[in-house]
Amino acid sequence: MVELSELEHDALVEIFNIGVGQAAAAMSGIVGEEVTMSVPSITFLSRMEAAQLLEDAHRRSGIGSGRDAGERICGVSQHYEGAFQTEAILMFPEDKSLEIVRLMVGESVPLAELSEMEQEAMSEIGNIILNSCVGTLANIFQHELHGSLPVYQVGSSDEILDATGSRAETVVMMLHIDFILEKHQIHGYVAFILDVTALHDLKDQIDRYLARAMGQQ
Amino acid sequence: MTDTSRLQLLESVLEAVSVGAVVLDADGRIVLWNRWMSRHSGCASHKAVGTDLFELMPELRGGRVQAAVTQALQNNFSSLLSPTLNRSPFPLFANAACEGRGERMQQAVAVTPLSLGDSGRHCLIQLSDVSMAAGREKLLREQTELLRMQTFSDGLTGIANRRAFDVAIDREVRRAKRAGSMVSLLMIDIDYFKPYNDHYGHQQGDQCLIQVASALQAQLQRSVDMLARYGGEEFAVILPDNDPHQALHMAGTLHGRIVKLALPHEYAGGPDKQITVSIGVATLVPERHGDVAALIGAADHALYAAKRQGRNRIVAAPPELL
Amino acid sequence: MPKPIVLIVDDSRVSRLVTRQHIIARHADWTVVEAGTGEEALAKAPELQPQLVLLDVNMPGMGGVAAAEQMRKLLPTAHISLLTANVQEATRKRAHDLGIGFMEKPVTEERIARLIAPLEV
Repeated sequence: MVELSELEHDALVEIFNIGVGQAAAAMSGIVGEEVTMSVPSITFLSRMEAAQLLEDAHRRSGIGSGRDAGERICGVSQHYEGAFQTEAILMFPEDKSLEIVRLMVGESVPLAELSEMEQEAMSEIGNIILNSCVGTLANIFQHELHGSLPVYQVGSSDEILDATGSRAETVVMMLHIDFILEKHQIHGYVAFILDVTALHDLKDQIDRYLARAMGQQ
Repeated sequence: MTDTSRLQLLESVLEAVSVGAVVLDADGRIVLWNRWMSRHSGCASHKAVGTDLFELMPELRGGRVQAAVTQALQNNFSSLLSPTLNRSPFPLFANAACEGRGERMQQAVAVTPLSLGDSGRHCLIQLSDVSMAAGREKLLREQTELLRMQTFSDGLTGIANRRAFDVAIDREVRRAKRAGSMVSLLMIDIDYFKPYNDHYGHQQGDQCLIQVASALQAQLQRSVDMLARYGGEEFAVILPDNDPHQALHMAGTLHGRIVKLALPHEYAGGPDKQITVSIGVATLVPERHGDVAALIGAADHALYAAKRQGRNRIVAAPPELL
Repeated sequence: MPKPIVLIVDDSRVSRLVTRQHIIARHADWTVVEAGTGEEALAKAPELQPQLVLLDVNMPGMGGVAAAEQMRKLLPTAHISLLTANVQEATRKRAHDLGIGFMEKPVTEERIARLIAPLEV
């Protein structure tokens, strides 16, 4: 596992905050309301730890809802490749993703049914957020990546994170995302699945970015 | 297969498919505009090719489509425009009749980058007609609503049931909080209902409930006011945007309606030998930051007070309870 | 003429670093002071009397817009600008209404040049 220094971690958080700022602006344009998005923190985990993190967060937020464990997660994933490869997945608890779609669409939609149309809306929201995050990353690192169309999936955290197929030696870079619209605050995650080489690449790029920023290059 | 015949094959496929295919070059100029596009946009291929897409369709400027094209040409990223969030970004019509009515086709749009070697980066826009799927979904939703109404209504009286009430009170309190407005709740209980049932029989007891519910419902004219059967002989009325005075006034009106029914009740424990109701009134005001439980608790509290004070009366909950 | 003083307000250490570096690269003799929150910036401003204040918007506590509004009252002649990832219309409009500048992140040489230009005359 690669460790990032505090400065490197801060740099990454700052870069992603710029990225989600763009996404928030795009969504604000769609819904006509102010949308706030921020990335309060980033953690690096193994795939198993990441699945556990999502489960725990779920259980905590599901207090008092009377629902059983194994509440489902909605994931929108896109594949990026070029200078490096990664699977990026935006994740919200299923009912939260519905809430976001409802807020964006402005209709009162029955909660229990997730229809195909709403799935596509969620796919677009994921597409906007992921493209903004990765776009900023790519710009700052001056690398080019090709991004695929979004794929929508609902399942347990294990299923969502495993969907890309088991690959040995992968690390999950997990962004915690805060999404605020009309006084609703929704907490979600963006997971980047990287192999160790890509992770080293990332660390290298952050260091180069910092060096450039500090006038050393 | 020769290059020419292969080219012919691909062109015929492109012209035959039931999706719109538009390709833009790096400068945003249209280099491909298939037959589906011509048919549904009313713009022929020879007019479209060579033109800047955003000059051909200026309404697309500054919107999601332009952002997606930029993402593809500059960043090599793909974008999806879902029909739910972008109903009909392109001016496309299913047929001439729809065009006459100004009824646009509902579209799903996908924008993907294309690397064409020496020609550089291009952008492919695919468009599909999802109007039928959208129509089906609408129908399904309406049918579900209908079913939902059936499971939310009380079998005996036809008014909303407890489940409907629980959903509604939650929704109205949240709405009131969002809007910074008030919401009032009335808890109405038929006086001496048990002795009525015991002496007149359950069938007549049921009839009494039906008549009381009907009388109450007739008095509630606004569609946002909700009457629900809360329990055996208990009713609840949700009055959004009603302050304590308005709620009290409504309680008085409802109380009066029941008295006017003049349903005889020889076995009532009080002085009035007819069916009467006791009513508890409570109002949630935004400054007090109460919640659903507090509102119901306060209305209940007021109802019990009305019973204790002799029934056949209205009591308003003290504001401190909320 | 004394050398200009710039106050950078941002909760991200890296962002402050990057902004500082871009300024120092052009003017090594200017004074650049940092603050991590709006409150901290307002506490420092009266004594510091900066000619230019750059504020991020999304910060814990009072946030950049509220801080900018207060800053304008404390320093009526200073150049004040938002420098932020929050690029929505609503925020741009608020900046416009407050009579302060608005600049998008990420921080680039060109963007910094435009922000410090008024101090270079």
